[in-house]
Amino acid sequence: MRRIAMVPRDDWQKKVEDGGLIFHTPDMDAGMEEQPDRPYWDESAAYQFEATEIDMLEAAAHKLQDMCLEAAQHIVDKKRYAELNIPATAIPAIEWAWVTSPPALYGRFDIAYNGSGSPKLLEYNADTPTSLLEAAVIQWSWLEEQHPNCDQFNSIHEKLIAKWQDIAPYVSKPIYFAGLENAEDRLTLAYLRDTADQADLPTEQLLMEEIGWNEGRRMFVDPDERQMGTIFKLYPWEMMLKEEFGQPALDTYREMSWIEPIWKMLLSNKGLLPILWELYPNNELLLEAYFEGDPRADALKSYVRKPLLSREGANVTIVRNGRTIASNGGPYDGPQIVQALAPEAVFPDNLKPGAKRYPVCGLWMVDQTCCGMGIRESGGPITGNLSSFVPHYFC
Amino acid sequence: MRRRSLHVTAPLLAAAAVAMSSGCRKPEMQRCVDENNQVVDDSLCANLPPVSGNQQYPNMHGGGIVPYRPLYHYYYGGWGGYTPGTVVGGGSLTPLEGHGYISSRGIRTGTVRGGFGHGFSYHGGGE
Repeated sequence: MRRIAMVPRDDWQKKVEDGGLIFHTPDMDAGMEEQPDRPYWDESAAYQFEATEIDMLEAAAHKLQDMCLEAAQHIVDKKRYAELNIPATAIPAIEWAWVTSPPALYGRFDIAYNGSGSPKLLEYNADTPTSLLEAAVIQWSWLEEQHPNCDQFNSIHEKLIAKWQDIAPYVSKPIYFAGLENAEDRLTLAYLRDTADQADLPTEQLLMEEIGWNEGRRMFVDPDERQMGTIFKLYPWEMMLKEEFGQPALDTYREMSWIEPIWKMLLSNKGLLPILWELYPNNELLLEAYFEGDPRADALKSYVRKPLLSREGANVTIVRNGRTIASNGGPYDGPQIVQALAPEAVFPDNLKPGAKRYPVCGLWMVDQTCCGMGIRESGGPITGNLSSFVPHYFC
Repeated sequence: MRRRSLHVTAPLLAAAAVAMSSGCRKPEMQRCVDENNQVVDDSLCANLPPVSGNQQYPNMHGGGIVPYRPLYHYYYGGWGGYTPGTVVGGGSLTPLEGHGYISSRGIRTGTVRGGFGHGFSYHGGGE
């Protein structure tokens, strides 16, 4: 794994916009705490891998997927929901979904890797991962222009279409794609909807707040009062359950298809990490991790502390040798976990002499198959909402 | 093992993605009223048969049929409040399709929207 300085393509902004990535450069909002020093889509550099590294990362993701499913089974068997702060009202739906395996589509492992040693799992975004269009389409177009004779770990697009074709017989149509109004979510939804369209599935798109609940008919309805039988929601289960329609969603869970299914709450929770460590102690793909308050957590001198359900690097604190070296604010509170610091993944910044860039590798799962990678990069050790996306290739 | 995509064809229309807009409706008021459209206690409308827009019954006195309208009935939407004795107007005797209603006791009728999607002011629903 090497970080290679690149000359951005002429008119790269138009090229990525043509692919659909309209938020390639963050708005310089005066209200932002920290102004990013480069665009979100950053092709002033790229990561070059050896084919053997790609093989190793792919195998690691498959191994991690098996381990995570074992951990989910363990949580269900031992009923460790309270440790994950999962409400008791959701348990019957989770257990039913776990046993019946309703359609699930995708997820993303966030991995620390620096080109040597074993990759380490940071977390599993198994419910609502984004940065998908960039990984599946935009970096592919970049590769075709910039490194046409090389390869890229990326068959995400075909795998998504194939998965929709697999799902098709088991769900009612149309498939509704629901999310929030911000550009990133809308674009992710539009892209996923496009892959479903290419699988010849009828689709609709709407906002989460446009979903209607009809108490008399005991069903969710679209803006035209049609029953919604299948909903892909880019909106996390833990938030849905806190909202007014959370209970109706649980009450009618068996009568419709939510994608991702509710059992993904077991994986998209930082509490998965200490449970994995407990089940697979000293596994080379894992970092030592404990629930906060566990005496073993106190023995860690270099660690990351993060809430069970924080997102986009919010409310994360990094401590090295007993000293806090980075901390992000945010809206998340509640129980936390403590995870040992990963071996540092740092590369020199080609644009700022003396500065460093911190990459995190996102390994994309479509169903049970790892089929691609997208790399987010920051100027500090916490990957956040504005961290850049940097393309990769291997030759 | 070959990993590259064979055909990345994403005819994505960014403008279409951006064009989503909210048609969210808040629930409107549902009150029990008398024949003068004055608000009465909800208990007086309990167990009444629903009123349809063209429901009719035979006129026992002079033959023919007249519209059916019970003494107390629900009134949906429009102006006015929940306070007993006040007058309401501008609404309807039956729930309108696509509208949601809520009584003074929090009981809902019809379709209610806006029950999902208010959880994040910080960023979006993805990560």
